[in-house]
Amino acid sequence: MARPMPLKLEVAGVGKDYLIPVIESVSFAVEAGEFVCLLGPNGCGKTTLLRILGGIEPATRGTVRLDGRPVTADRHHERHVGVVFQEDRLLPWLSLRDNVALVLKPLGLDRDARRARAMDYLRLVGLQGFEAYYPGRVSGGMRQRAAIARALAIEPDVLLMDEPFGALDAQNRRILQQEVRRIWAETGRTIVFVTHSIEEAAAIGTTLIMLSARPSRIREMVRNDGSVERAKLIDDLNTMIMEEVERQQGAAPDRSVEEKAP
Amino acid sequence: MSERGGDWASRLHLPTLLALALVLVAWTLLSRRYGAYVLPTPWSVVVGFGEIVRSGEIWGHAAASLYRIAVGFGLAVLLSLVMALAAFVSALLRGIVHDALAVLNSTSVFVWIVISLIWFGLSNWAPIFTTFMITLPVVASNLVEGVSSVDRRLLEMGDVYRLGPGEKFTAIVIPSTLPYLVAGMKVGFGLALKVSVVAEIFGVTSGIGYAMNVSRETLATQMVFVWALVMILIMVAIDKLLFDPVSRRLGRWR
Repeated sequence: MARPMPLKLEVAGVGKDYLIPVIESVSFAVEAGEFVCLLGPNGCGKTTLLRILGGIEPATRGTVRLDGRPVTADRHHERHVGVVFQEDRLLPWLSLRDNVALVLKPLGLDRDARRARAMDYLRLVGLQGFEAYYPGRVSGGMRQRAAIARALAIEPDVLLMDEPFGALDAQNRRILQQEVRRIWAETGRTIVFVTHSIEEAAAIGTTLIMLSARPSRIREMVRNDGSVERAKLIDDLNTMIMEEVERQQGAAPDRSVEEKAP
Repeated sequence: MSERGGDWASRLHLPTLLALALVLVAWTLLSRRYGAYVLPTPWSVVVGFGEIVRSGEIWGHAAASLYRIAVGFGLAVLLSLVMALAAFVSALLRGIVHDALAVLNSTSVFVWIVISLIWFGLSNWAPIFTTFMITLPVVASNLVEGVSSVDRRLLEMGDVYRLGPGEKFTAIVIPSTLPYLVAGMKVGFGLALKVSVVAEIFGVTSGIGYAMNVSRETLATQMVFVWALVMILIMVAIDKLLFDPVSRRLGRWR
């Protein structure tokens, strides 16, 4: 562990305008195997930033590099990014297994290999025995588990999660947080996780990035390695987010560019 | 057991059968009052039905009508698929398809009957063309609505996981559109049956519409009722034997 981990994700001066600047300029770097949580007031562009990292949307300015290669928002790149959206986005007419197996097709695996890998990852997320179920027949928490299995099954360079537990009840949320933390520890994947819950971020992230009010910059980047007591960390972050929320509301409230509610 | 009993009652449509019995009684009384030419008795309709089954007349006319429906409606479904595909790949084409369907939708059956008589004369193609022109906008509107209601978020998921256009089409677009196709075909087929029968009154010498018109001209009113019954039976049979099983199969994940 003496050797520094290689840089996985480099974000340099990334900004995004929708009529007005939403993200002013954000720069940070993520080492391989980190669990990064993106925090910030509602509407500050967390989801937009994540979508830029995943190459789903182009940035207005700045660059994103994944393993040293630039990420661009077009369909013909070679990147390997797993995304867990706010909604599960499973295909309701496919079983959980076939939902996972579907995204393995572009990897060039044959049918049996796809199914075997789908089964492996469904087991990893605790869905053993439910592989043949249609998404409509299982609970919201289980659907989100399946979405996580799908994202992990492509064995992505980076796993992006956009408030994946926002629609779940408190109990399921807590269970899935622990599960994601366990899966992260078991697989060693690099994760970027968007959340508006400071408690959630402090519970699962290794690095916490707090974005400022719109147009957003990085307000604070904290290593969550236990050097600061968790209760104090949560307190500090809560103070920060309240300041940013106030700042955002103080600025001309422009509802047209609000982040879309889930 | 009681649940099964309730299930049986609804399966046999007991309330409907009761209502039907009342209608038959009223029908019989009214036919006595007004005479067989205006309103033949239910029994004479049953006898007439037996006659066309025994003579085999039913099969010839039903087959002639069904053949015209199959060709006209079949072509309408094929063209609808092409239009829906066009609407899916290009916003420009979607606008054209949308407007064309609006025009077709507001054109009367009679317009197509007259035009097809002028164009195709006294041939099979007159009712086929009429059926085609009337069912096309119904099926195509449903399908176009189907492809435009494909969840963009699912397509975005497909992009994120680098599914190719073909994979996205077969895994996402087709399954989300199929229910619209089946619904459109179900309504379209019912319409095809009704329209082709009207078109058969003119110019052709076979088919249910022709048989009905002949019955009217020969003052055999009970046979008009018999052929109406044949139409109803065909519709019910296609619904129960074709569309219902297909819908059930498509909806098994719901």
